[in-house]
Order: sequence, then structure tokens, then C-alpha cells
Amino acid sequence: MEPIRPTGLQLFGSPVLFNSFPFLFVFLPAVAAAYFAVPWHRLRLLLVIGASYYFYAYADWWFPALMAGSTAISYTTGRLLDTETDERRRKLGLATGIVGVLALLAYFKYTAFVGGYALDFVHVLTRQSFPDARSFFHGIVLPIGISFYTFEGISYMVDVYRRTLRAERDVLRYAFFISFFPHLIAGPIVRYGILQPQLTQKHRFDADRVRSGLMLFALGLAKKVLLADGIAHWVDHYLATPGQLGLVNAWSCAVGFGFQIYFDFSAYSDMALGLARIFGIELPWNFDRPYRSASPTEFWRRWHVTLSTWLRDYLYIPLGGNRKGQRRQDLNLLATMGLGGLWHGASLNFVAWGLYHGLLLAGTHRGRRRGLSLPRPLGVAVTFILVVLGWVLFRMHSAHGIGALYAGMFGLHGIGGLPGHLALYIAIAAAIVFGLPEEWRWPVGRWNVAYVAATAVLFAVAVSSVYTSHPFLYFRF
Amino acid sequence: MRRLVLFIVVTAVVLGCFAAVTWWVDPLGEIWKPGALVTAERDDCLISQELIGTRYLSFKLAVFHDRPTRTFVVGSSRVLKIASHPHERSFANLGYPGTAPSTILKLVHTLPASPRQTMYVGVESFWFNRHYRVPDTNPSDYHLAEYLVSRSAFWNAFTFARDVSYVRYPDRWRRTTVGRRCTIGRTYPSINWALDGSRVWSWELDPKHYQRFHATPYRGNLNAWRNGYYADWETIDQARVAQLERALALARSRGWRVVGFAPPEPASIVRILEADPRIAPRWRAFLRLMPQVFGRYHDRWIGPAVRCPASAFPDLFHTDAACSLLVRDRLDLAARHAD
Repeated sequence: MEPIRPTGLQLFGSPVLFNSFPFLFVFLPAVAAAYFAVPWHRLRLLLVIGASYYFYAYADWWFPALMAGSTAISYTTGRLLDTETDERRRKLGLATGIVGVLALLAYFKYTAFVGGYALDFVHVLTRQSFPDARSFFHGIVLPIGISFYTFEGISYMVDVYRRTLRAERDVLRYAFFISFFPHLIAGPIVRYGILQPQLTQKHRFDADRVRSGLMLFALGLAKKVLLADGIAHWVDHYLATPGQLGLVNAWSCAVGFGFQIYFDFSAYSDMALGLARIFGIELPWNFDRPYRSASPTEFWRRWHVTLSTWLRDYLYIPLGGNRKGQRRQDLNLLATMGLGGLWHGASLNFVAWGLYHGLLLAGTHRGRRRGLSLPRPLGVAVTFILVVLGWVLFRMHSAHGIGALYAGMFGLHGIGGLPGHLALYIAIAAAIVFGLPEEWRWPVGRWNVAYVAATAVLFAVAVSSVYTSHPFLYFRF
Repeated sequence: MRRLVLFIVVTAVVLGCFAAVTWWVDPLGEIWKPGALVTAERDDCLISQELIGTRYLSFKLAVFHDRPTRTFVVGSSRVLKIASHPHERSFANLGYPGTAPSTILKLVHTLPASPRQTMYVGVESFWFNRHYRVPDTNPSDYHLAEYLVSRSAFWNAFTFARDVSYVRYPDRWRRTTVGRRCTIGRTYPSINWALDGSRVWSWELDPKHYQRFHATPYRGNLNAWRNGYYADWETIDQARVAQLERALALARSRGWRVVGFAPPEPASIVRILEADPRIAPRWRAFLRLMPQVFGRYHDRWIGPAVRCPASAFPDLFHTDAACSLLVRDRLDLAARHAD
């Protein structure tokens, strides 16, 4: 995975990210103070939209223009679908809107992928290498967050088309929905139906709510910089040479990466939920201790929930879901999860990861129909192992790396030693994952003074660690 | 509301404690400590690099202002051995590692216009290589704030203060002896600064305890040789020439005397500079250009006027005290002739 190298708008020479000093000490306090100081609701919306576009411009100057374009397409399509009564025209309008926003995603995310393979194929036939075309494909920059706001736009258009949602007339509210900075870069994938009622009311400053949001944000930041980044340091260290990993350290790396990605992404979700709460907005939760799942089906009900429900409602069910026989259901699961994998990144390993999970889901459904079930503790253990095996496909980006790590995990490189620091991190992570509920479930709003003070200390330690923090993994998708 | 205030206050207090400890101990030398220079002046000691850290500019400005400076030299680390004569207080060495035309311009802007100064400018050819990256020797307030609340800096400060008792109170340094000189430093003062801003290596004072620096041999890889300063050098960077000219113009407008020079090179290095096809055209262009640049402001350019034997370059890069004294004499002579 290539590290993100922001080239756009910066504060004090640093990009404005959740885990950065400019965000924590300048952007967030300034935007929150201005938000509550402004007495007019519409001006508040405008203020947050402006701040969100500024926030988005950190990665590159032209990204906000792209988001504005995507917003305009889905907003206009929604208005058209709301007023149009002719079903054929509505269908055509929906298709045009979806193609419009997907075209942006397809160009920026998948052109290099498809073009690269096409050139490889032509190269095999003609022995020509086309360096200009290759450098063109290489030069396409993926705008971060595009996968998220594209899916949000599609869900809005489809909901309006299905008449489960009235189209938004107020362009400010709609622009707020797409651009709201807490969920802009890496979700959760919000549906307009959840946000719409919250955007019509003016949120007064509520100290308890702000504290609750801050504490959720603090817990997320602590998870990210104290756990995810710590695990990442050691996982990256060992996985630099996957061919040298024996059974124990290969499994430690795979399990470590499983915890790393969970703590990284769920931390971002907690921070997003906490930030939104500060502004009076409740976003949908995205994780619910997924590693306690007793089956792959349950795992996807607990992992990246807003994506899995999106895939279910806008892809799996329209494809026929489980209504057209078992074989068709299997195919639908494979197609849905394969595309879900491709959504994560334009690379064959992500497709393989998606298909792997499609197979797990299909196998689970078939097993269930035959009355197969495991005792819950065994189910949790088996599911965890299966998910960890899948993370290898997600983490390693070459067939060689994947093969080397699997070979290590199956003992082909010997037993190997226990990686001390990583093992400690894994133990702490496992204790949290299997022993505590998800942070958004914690009743932070009702915590007493001692808990508040302890969270503040944890927050301060996390803030002090931001200096060496890594970018969030899901920024790449 | 009270719990919100409590949350914010506790966070601020903890971060404040981190910052206070880091500021006091300053394990990475990011904070300028004027008290260390005052102590060194009071005891007539050297001051260790450990206490200067990255704050060369602040240190050199303090040196300038603490003395009745009338003559000073600016330039890279290769001018740092140019020192004042015994009992001479009007000379200051304001050079520092990472000097470039932009830093000279900034320095000249910062210094007072009067009294009239004599400025010796040691110009390096590699400054005009666009790929030579000028290090940050004057960190911004934001950078310092980041440093002060950083957990790793705090941890370094904490462990240092735990292991080294004198850092805790009342000073953050101690007086030690290197050879026959005293120095205000901490644990290992391998590089020291004299009160005139010139540099003193500890191995010069105490060769038994301090290791001499070694040269990085030239093996044709420009990225590995001399910190990569000469790598990928395609043209003379005109933007940097313009910065140097602005500094000279400012000095001229103040009526200062300016003498430019190229710090001496050992003969073996001169041969490389003149022969390596990746450097030679730019080296020759540099030698042609500088007399014109200095001449435009009626300033003298004496070029690499001093030749020193190979033994005068302990690491084949920096001159020793004897060679630097020759350079100083040559500069003084040129300055007298400039009148």
C-alpha cells in the first residue's frame, strides 16, 4: 500500500487529518466554536460545508471540485426522480445519475487497473510496451473518500427512485450530507434518510453531548495511535520479509494485522461518530466487536456495517438475493462480495479477498440449510481463523507475498519464534476485543468524574502520540 | 458543563506537564537555551553542541549581540574554524551547518544595520545545486509546540532526567572538562562552540577520549559523498544566486564591507571537482560566476585563495585551526584592501 502524500491545503505545513495537531488544536475547535456561535441554522450548514470542503482539500486542491460535481449529479438526479412520474423516464434518470457518479469513481479508481491489465495483454500479443499509456495510467491520482461519497450518492438516488425517501429540495442540506467532514474520508457510509431529519433542526450547544462526542473521539484516537499504530509498526516490520516467517510469527502477523485493521478502521468510525455528535448529528455505528461473530454471516453484520448493508440493499437484493434458488444465491453472494472487494481497491488481491468472503458466506448458508451448526465458542474461533486467513489476501499485494505468508502459516517455513512486542500488543487487543463492548455502546454520557478524568488522561497521551501517527488504512479506499 | 470543563482541563494539564518536562530537559536540542551561553561566558568555557541542538541561528545571533561585533564570517560548516584572534572581541563566527543563500539573506536582514560591519561570506558551490536541501535551523512555533507535546520527546526527556540527575534542577547542564578547557554541556560534548561562535572539536582538546572524524571516501557515488550535496547537479540555481545577490545588496545599502571566498579544499578534492564530468562544468561555472556576483556590488571575491596541505583537512572536508587562521588573515588583508 502506498502511503498517502498530501499535496493540497495544509495548516502549519501539516495536512488536516483527524490524527493531526492542526485538526485537533485549530480546525476542530475553530469550526465547533463558529458552529455554535452562529445563530442562523442555514449559515451553520454553510459554515460546516465550507469547513468540510476545506478539510477535503488537504489531499489535493481539485478534490473538492470533484466532490461538488458528484454532489450536483446525485442532487439533480434526485430532484428529477421526485418530480417525474413516467416510470421509463425515471428508470433512465436513475441509470444516468448512477452512471454519472460511478463514471467518476471508475475513472479515478479503476482506469489504471483495467488499463494496466489491458496493456499487459496487448504486450503478450504484440511485444509492445506502450510506455506513454502506462505513465498516463500511473499518473491518475485516486481522490480519497470518493468510494464513500459515491456510494452515499447512489443510495440517495436509489432511495428516491424507490420512493422510500423524498428528494431533498434544499441544496445546502444535501451538500452537507455528502461533505460533512466527520464521515467524508472513510465513512461510515451514511444514508440520507438517517441524516435528513437531523438537518432540519437547529442543534443548541449541549455540554453533555459535546463531552460525550469528545470522549468517543478520544477513545477512537487512543485506539488508533496507541493500539493500531503500535501493532502496525511490528506487523510492517515482520511482513517486510514474509518468506522468513515461521508458523508462529506468520500467524502472529496475520492475527496482528486483523487487529490492526480493526482498531484502525473502527477507531476512525468512533472518531467520526464522536465528531458528528459534537455538532449534534448522530451517525450510524459501523462496528460491533466483529471478531466475536460465530459465523461469516454474523461477521458481516458486525464489520463495516454501513458498507455491508449498502451492498445488501443496493446490490445483493436487486440481483435477486436468496429469492431465486440456492445456486443463484451463491452467485449473487460471490458477485456482491467480489464487487465489495473491488470497492476496497483496484487490485486483484482485493477481488480475491471479496470472493473468499463470498465463498464463506455461500458455504455458511448451505451449511445452515443442512442443519450444520457449531457451538458458539467453537464458531467464534473458526470464524476468527477464517477471517484472519482472508486478511492475508487483503494485506499482501503480490501473489509471491500471499504465497509466502500462507506457506509460513501452514508451517512450511518451520515453527518460528514468538515476536515479543507484537505478541504483547495482540494480547492487549484480544482482551479488549473479546472482553469489552464496542466503544459506541459505552455510556460515556453518563460517566462519573473519575471516568471522565481517566479518559482525558488517555486522550492527552493519545494526542501526544499523534506526532508519529500513521495514516488511516481506509483512506486508501 | 462541569464535566466538559473537567475533561478539557485535565487534557490540557497533562499535555502541559508533558510540554514542561520536554521544554526543561529538551532531549533533542530544539529549544534555545540562552542561559547556557550566559554560564559559558561567565566561566569562560566552551559550550557543547548538545545544548545548541538545531538552534544554530538563535545561538549565532546571541554570539553576535553579546560581543561588540564589527567583523563576522558567514558560511557552511566549512568556515566554522575561522576564529577570533586571542583577546579579540570584535570578531564573530556566524556560520553554521546548513547555511545557504536564503539563510544568509535572513541573517543579514536580522542583524542591525549599524554599526558598520565587515562581512566575510564563505560561498559553497553546492549551494547552487537545486537538490541541496537547506535544513531547518529555525523551527517554527508550530513545530516547537508539536515537539513539546510529543510523547516520544517527553519519554526521551523523562528517561534522560531519570538517569542524569543534574538535568533536573537548578540548571539543565553541567560544567565538564575536555582536555585543558572547560565546557558547559551534558553527557558527551564531542563538538563545542567557542564564545566567538567558532567550532572546537573535542578530539582537538583531548584526543585520547574523543574520536577524530573520518572522511567519507569518494568512490564515484555522488549520493554517498559529502552528504549527497553534489548529486544530480544539473545547473546553477539562479534563484539561489538571486538570494545571495539580495543579501549582498542589503549589505551594500548599509555600507558594509563584504569579502567573498570559497572555503579551501584539499588538492585531492579539487581534482575531483575539476575532473568529474557530473560536477566539473558546474564547479567551473561557479568559479566564473562568483567574481561577477560580488563585483556587481563592488565587493571583493578572493576565491579559493588559500591552499592548505592535505593534513589540514581532518575529514577531507573541514579545515583545521591552522588553515582557518590562514584564511582569516587572507580575508582581513582583502578587507583592508577593500578600503
